[in-house]
Amino acid sequence: MDLDHQTVVGLAKSWGLIYLLVLAVGVLAYTFWPKNKKRFDRAKESILDKDDKPWN
Amino acid sequence: MIAGLTKGERQLSLAVLTVLALCGLAFAAIGHDDPIGTHGFIILLVAIGLACVVIAGYYAPEPDKEQLSRYYDDPTRAGIVLAMAWAVFGLFFGVWVAALLAWPELTFDAAWSSFGRIRPVHTTGVIFGFGGNALIATSLHVLQRTTRARLPDQFSPWFVLIGYNLFCVLAVSGYFMGLTQSKEYAEAEWYADIWLVIVWVVYFLIYIRTLQRRKEPHIYVANWYYMAFILVVAILHIVNNLAVPVSFGHAKSYSLFSGVQDAMTQWWYGHNAVAFFLTAGFLGMMYYYLPKRAGRPIFSYRLSIISFWGIVFMYMWAGSHHLHYTALPQWVQTLGMTFSVILLVPSWASAGNALATLNGAWGKVRDDATLRFMMVAAVFYGLSTFEGSFMAIRAVNSLSHYTDWTIGHVHAGALGWVAMISFGSIYALVPWMWKRERMYSSKLIEVHFWLALAGTVVYVFSMWNSGIIQGLMWRTYNESGTLAYSFVDSLVAMHPYYIARTFGGLLFLLGALVGCYNIWMTIRQAGGRVVLQGPDVDEPALAPIALQAGE
Amino acid sequence: MPNFHRKLERSAIGFVVAIIVVSSIGGFVEIAPLFTIDETVEKAPDMRVYTPLELAGRNIYVREGCYACHSQMIRTLRDEVERYGPYSLAVESQYDHPMLWGSKRTGPDLARIGGKYSDAWQVAHLRNPRDVVPVSVMPAYRWLEDNTLRTEDLGLHLKAMSRVGVPYTQAMIDNATNDAYGQANPDSNFAAGVVERYGEATNIRAFDGEPGRVTEMDALVAYLQILGKLTNAATAANVAIKE
Repeated sequence: MDLDHQTVVGLAKSWGLIYLLVLAVGVLAYTFWPKNKKRFDRAKESILDKDDKPWN
Repeated sequence: MIAGLTKGERQLSLAVLTVLALCGLAFAAIGHDDPIGTHGFIILLVAIGLACVVIAGYYAPEPDKEQLSRYYDDPTRAGIVLAMAWAVFGLFFGVWVAALLAWPELTFDAAWSSFGRIRPVHTTGVIFGFGGNALIATSLHVLQRTTRARLPDQFSPWFVLIGYNLFCVLAVSGYFMGLTQSKEYAEAEWYADIWLVIVWVVYFLIYIRTLQRRKEPHIYVANWYYMAFILVVAILHIVNNLAVPVSFGHAKSYSLFSGVQDAMTQWWYGHNAVAFFLTAGFLGMMYYYLPKRAGRPIFSYRLSIISFWGIVFMYMWAGSHHLHYTALPQWVQTLGMTFSVILLVPSWASAGNALATLNGAWGKVRDDATLRFMMVAAVFYGLSTFEGSFMAIRAVNSLSHYTDWTIGHVHAGALGWVAMISFGSIYALVPWMWKRERMYSSKLIEVHFWLALAGTVVYVFSMWNSGIIQGLMWRTYNESGTLAYSFVDSLVAMHPYYIARTFGGLLFLLGALVGCYNIWMTIRQAGGRVVLQGPDVDEPALAPIALQAGE
Repeated sequence: MPNFHRKLERSAIGFVVAIIVVSSIGGFVEIAPLFTIDETVEKAPDMRVYTPLELAGRNIYVREGCYACHSQMIRTLRDEVERYGPYSLAVESQYDHPMLWGSKRTGPDLARIGGKYSDAWQVAHLRNPRDVVPVSVMPAYRWLEDNTLRTEDLGLHLKAMSRVGVPYTQAMIDNATNDAYGQANPDSNFAAGVVERYGEATNIRAFDGEPGRVTEMDALVAYLQILGKLTNAATAANVAIKE
């Protein structure tokens, strides 16, 4: 493939944009998926638990 | 230190140190007429010294089962001490190098102390010495607490910590001798760079092995940031430092890239060193120590995930904003500018998340200087990311680039954000690590806080002023259509600001010294160890019984 | 989607791969094309490489950290072009391993400093900048005159440079040490070889004012005097301000 300026701009405008959007949608979907809420709530409280020893 | 290692690990240490000593000896022999020979001797001495320590403790009893079932914090404790030592060293050279611009004869007529040589001593001392040790120390602590698992072994964390500090020593001592690749924030020469790669791989392996042994199913978000820091810094470091040494007996090497490609690679590295060393790693710190100290969970865990992926994705595009209006193709400049502006979104999401976490705990922020350090760090993080996006705009950059404004911006981030979050985290961590009820003196933390804040403000304001004046003077035309000021005119105008910034830096250094004293006294504190039971000031727990999911 | 991410996260390795992939893309898109597209670097058939003495001087420039205060990159802005000369082209630093574009101007840009001042001025200025510019804040580099330049290994330096792509010929590599001496000693037998290998326009002078010994001062001044002079591409292009 000839990687000149035009090709790069073309790539950025097509695949680059799609990639950016897919990534954004993916991250947002994961973040706001209702099933994940519990895990996140647990995670954010978890660091405040007593942590004097590793769990076995 | 040695008592914590198993027999096998003590033997492994001796084997590794022997290999290291042989490498040092080889460099010392091959490079006897080159500065690399001096580095060979340094490596040799370090290896022999450490081997003596291992041999002296070789027959100490091995750690028992009970000890091995607890968290392994010895490297964290050592890392905190090293971080503070490097902070004082790096800040001292910062003050000196700043003073040289006001009083250029302060070099005592020596080669090693001229501006060009001690400037990288300052930057490496504070970024890699102070920042890096703070990151390693805290990451090992956070990693174990959030995964509920002990580190996989006792040898590798020591290898990482000591190996990393050896890299810093090689880098800094090299600058004094004039060894530099001239790549900003990647000045160390080829052999030190290879050594850092080895250290970094072991660091990564500690992380991944601990994560795989974790008892907590979910990986807490702080670890994501630490992981991004470790991984991306590795990529950046390897690509940017590709070089061909003159010979194995020469410290000097020639960069694989040249001209415009080298410039782009360097600033792709340079900007992402800011992103993944000075931002991602310290955000990891913030996402653990700030909620922990405030005794409140992070405001929005979801927001932290979104900003994580935003930062990981977008920062890597932004480096070309360092090269506006240069010989770099314009489309690359535009791409860099665009992403730099969008970066404001995930950056402010992080800063806002931190501040919103404190909402409802402002009383604590008022009374507790440790928490206030973290709060102010989040504010400066928000300020300097805004400023960064602003300065990445081409038109603004045409004024700000090459001036002290950039220096002001960097220090708003470095002093206000990186150093403040580190000091806050260290003040939170020291009593936990040394099993003390609290720091030796909360008054002294208060003193440190105000010195640090005043120092930062004085520094940043003087650099803003001087930078903007400089930029304007360079582009001012008089009525006849010619340039109004010579370069020397602008230099004269800088003088008062260079004095002011030296003073600001001095305040910051004094603060760090107060901090060192306070930490030292906490460690030495009379009364010795207090084993804490139940909820207490330094280790806040919302749910006293572990394992309660906070629904 | 959530299951995918959960798996990603569960196996920490997958998470690692995700971070690497997501973060690498920006650098790849921006840097990789610079190596292939022709527009990045203009053509300059007249451009010559650094002589061994100039390369040694450049290494001293690097060693002393001069790049921390002096840029070598004139931007495409009117005031910069009027102050420092035609804006810098990419081709002008095509043999610069590494580039020294710089990021800060505590002192002025040096991209076109070559030939602007006499050797004597440069030497006096490096010896003590305040002798010639009273308000200067530049460090004094007094030891450069005292230090004999290390020349016996310059062939290895040229060889390393040719390994990374700079077109040094075998003759240049073989004669590097003598050429360094010859360039700083116009009356010596070695001076002719420098002209032969690097061209008529090469500066052959006792840069530090004292023929005989080749000092670090010779090398650094030789380098400073060639800055912006390796090719005429920038002036020949009849540079008009782009914007």
